[in-house]
Order: sequence, then structure tokens, then C-alpha cells
Amino acid sequence: MNRCRVAAWLVLLVCFDAFAIDPGKDPVPSVMWSFFQQKFLNGQPYVFDDKILVRAPPFAEDARQVPIEIDARAYQGQVVRILAWAELNPLPQIVDFEPLDRVQPWLSIRIRIEQATPLRAAALTRDGVWHIGSTTIEAAGGGCTAPSVVRTQPGWEEHLGEVLGARFPRGDYSRLRVQVSHPMDNGMVSGIPEFYLDQAQLTDASGTLLARLQLFPAVSENPTLSLDIQGAGETRLSLRDISGNPFSAVIP
Amino acid sequence: MRRLSLLWLLLLAPAALADMDYHLQPRQIAEGTYLLEGSTENFARSNGGNIVNTGFIITDSGVVVIDTGPSHRYGEALRKAIAAVTDKPVIQVLLTHHHPDHVLGNQAFADVAIGALAGTTAQMRAHGDALAENLYRMVGDWMRGTETVLPTQVLQTGVLEIGGHPLRLLALAGHTGSDLTILDERTGVLFAGDLLFYQRALTTPDSPGLQVWLADLERLQALPWKLLVPGHGPLASDASPFEQTRDYLTWLDALLREGAVQGQDMNELIASPIPARFGSISLTRYELIRSVSHLYPAYERVRMARVDER
Repeated sequence: MNRCRVAAWLVLLVCFDAFAIDPGKDPVPSVMWSFFQQKFLNGQPYVFDDKILVRAPPFAEDARQVPIEIDARAYQGQVVRILAWAELNPLPQIVDFEPLDRVQPWLSIRIRIEQATPLRAAALTRDGVWHIGSTTIEAAGGGCTAPSVVRTQPGWEEHLGEVLGARFPRGDYSRLRVQVSHPMDNGMVSGIPEFYLDQAQLTDASGTLLARLQLFPAVSENPTLSLDIQGAGETRLSLRDISGNPFSAVIP
Repeated sequence: MRRLSLLWLLLLAPAALADMDYHLQPRQIAEGTYLLEGSTENFARSNGGNIVNTGFIITDSGVVVIDTGPSHRYGEALRKAIAAVTDKPVIQVLLTHHHPDHVLGNQAFADVAIGALAGTTAQMRAHGDALAENLYRMVGDWMRGTETVLPTQVLQTGVLEIGGHPLRLLALAGHTGSDLTILDERTGVLFAGDLLFYQRALTTPDSPGLQVWLADLERLQALPWKLLVPGHGPLASDASPFEQTRDYLTWLDALLREGAVQGQDMNELIASPIPARFGSISLTRYELIRSVSHLYPAYERVRMARVDER
């Protein structure tokens, strides 16, 4: 009897589990999905979700500076982490973003792409499910292996870590936009080793952590980043590159 | 059955190749002056890159060709089309700017003086091969054998007198940084190059600034022209191409400026509504995406300040 009940529970659990992880249909053609799903999502439950918006132009006019926008505001207040990657890039990962306090689950950033590729954003909600937003982009290619523009400018080292930034009121929130001078060398251009910004943190005037970002070398040189934040007040951006150089900026 | 369709394919493939003919039809637009009007589409395998206007003037001393088209094949076809109209030799090529759809027919004119502004030659030397490669990608086999041939002669501004046609040359900059326009003072035909687009959205990626382009339009419009040959789109005898190009530039400039003031991102701008009055213009969305990608960074930097802690 007992054994019977256990078996019944097991069957139920298996059914429930199968139901909970039905991911639906992948909206973009992809040969790499299962690889990335195992690599980045560690086999955790996920769903393809058209409420997670990944916006990009239909084609990459400049493969070294492709603007992408990730919008998970449909799950406002529930998103703990967002991962993004370009599936057919030699260096696919773009960003690992944790919107913590007052920062919306929205992000725009410019990236490099090497060829036409699916783009993915995976938003992890508090219930432990990854919500996958997808789009594709066409490209003539070569964005990752193109020589750096920054390095052709004489004296670029002196501008390393300079930050242009501003806050733009947008109704009940404001947008922080920054552009950081950095070559973001991805190691794919002959003779130039990896040298890129990998850590970024946003804090308020009292030191409360608002958001944490890990950047990857798919991010374009002179990274251009926008975040939407609720409430006013000074915001500090702290950055670090893989050589350990710290940079910081205060956006009024 | 399958074998049969394979046979068909084999039969059709050379036929498709044989049909790669530009069917160029020179149209007389003024005394001794002919236009070869391309489509207002984008580069495609279906049009072989013939999306451009070229022209020629039959003077007393020979034929002056204005732009040579997108490929070696086009250049050859242009030369044949000229020979069908006149026995006079081609003696001069004038290139309006370095873009591949205007200069890649040069190979067919290797025996003729090919004139361009100094800046145009420099741009062709720096970017010619990359631009040609991109056209190979977009129009395919039509491009076979096409190579960049650099100009052989540096043009100066002023009046170039050829066989009874005083050609007034102007060096402008709005479209690529080095843009030649040619006004034939005998006929009043103005070959405006790509400073004028008509019913086809403007290509802006190499523009040094939309304000520069707008200033060029003022200078051009003030010339004593009677007929306008835009770089792309139909011929006009009134100022409509000026009005449309100016209207579009002004709109685009304001869109980018206003977007930067509001802190918009590129993807928002790319999705901006395109005013209904531009409904007759082809490729507006496509060109807006290109314009935003290339021009917006300069607009957004103006609206940001140094905020790093030094």
C-alpha cells in the first residue's frame, strides 16, 4: 500500500516536473541552443518567453557597434539576473546583469558580432525559472576580428577609463547613459592580448548597491550602456578591467 | 522525374547567366546629353547593382561620361550604349564620388582620362576594395572580374571647357566629404551626384554632417540649372529633388538631435515613425537604420558630459 502511494507520488512528480519545464517552441532557428542552455542555465527550468524583449536592428550596419536592448520589465520586481549572448559569436557572452535596488530589468548595450546570429536574453525570476527572449540579426560579419578603432587614435591610453555620462528623465524613472573609453580587446586581433572591462557596479550616494554587471568581450570598444532607475539622487558607477585597473564615475 | 528537373537546372543555369544584361537605354534629356536611369531599389541580384544614374555628354571633341556604374559589366554595357548613339570617342570620365555604384565601371574606361576630386581618389584608395567586396556580396555574379581602378586625373573646381560645353565643377562635401557636381552651362543640366536623391532615401554613412549637406544644397540650388540629374531617382525640371532632399535631411537631423536630448537608444530611434510625406520614397526604414548606426554617436556625445572621477 505504502509502496503503491510512493509510486503514485513519483509518477505525479514526474508529470508535474515535465509540465513545469515545458519550454515551448524556440522562436528562432538555432543549432546552439542546447549547448548554451546547459552551459549558462545549468539545466535549470526555462521557457521561451515573448514577454522578454530583445531588440536589435534587422541587420548589423556596423558589426563592431551593434545596439541591443533587453527588456524584462514584464516581470518587474521578480527578475534577479539577466544573461545575454550572441549564439554564433566566437565569444558569445555579452553581459551578466543583476538589477538589485530601484534598477529596472532593462538594459541597452552595444556589442560586436562576427556573423548573422540568434541573440538571447535569459531572465531569471524569483521562482527559479529562466525566461528566454530571442531575436536574430543579419550581418556581413567581421565585428569581432576587426582591428580596434580606439587603438588607432594616438594617445588613447591617456583617455582610458574616461566616462561620458548623463541622466535623462523619462517619466517616473530616469535613464542613466554612460560611455567608457576602453579598447575592450577581446584577444582575437593578432598580437593584442585580452584587455577589457569586466566588472561594473552601480551604487547610490549612501553606498547601497543598485545593480551589478559582469561584462564580456562581446561588448564593443568604448562600451555604451544605458540603465533605467527609479528615483533621483547621485549614482556612482565603479568599473574594473581584467588588468585590475579601477575606474569610477559619478552621474549627478 | 528528379533526374529530369536536374536536367532542367543544368539547362537553365547558363540561361540565367546569359541574361545578366543591364539593358541600358540611354535617354536624351538635353542637347547631346543622355541619362541612364537606374532603379530606386537596393543593391540586389535581380538588378545587378543598377540602382544608380549615370550620364554622358556628346561634345564637339568627344564624349564625357559622368560616373561609370556598379561593375565592370555595367561599364562595358555603358560603353556599348554610348557607341550605339555616337561614333565620337569617349575622351573624359568624371566621377562624382567614391561610392562603388558610381565608380566600379572604371575598368571599361581604362584608356580614357578618369577625373575625380583628390579626396575621392584618396577614399577609393583607402576603401575601394572593401566597398567592392561588399557589392560582390550583395549582387553576386554580376560583379565578376570587377576591380577598383583609381582615377588618373585630379579635377580642380572651376570651369572645364570640353568641345563647346563649359562644365562648371563644384567640390562639395555633404554626402561623402568629397562630392563633385557638374553643371553644363550650355544646356543647364546639373549632374548633382548623390547630393541629390529623389524618391529614394538618402545614404548618409559617410556624411561629415547633415548640416554640411544642407549647406551644400543651398549652394547647388542657387546655380543656374534647368534640369536636375540626381544620383538616384528620376530626372526633374523643377526644384522637387532639392525640396525633398532638404526636407528629409532636416527631419533626420531633428530626429537624431531630439533623440539625444531625451536619452533615447539606437533601437528606439530605428523604430521611429517615418512621416507620411516620405511615403513615396523607397528604402526609408533601411536607410534610417544605417543613418542611426553611423551618425547617432556624434549626436549622443554632445548630450553627455565627463563624469569620471579624476
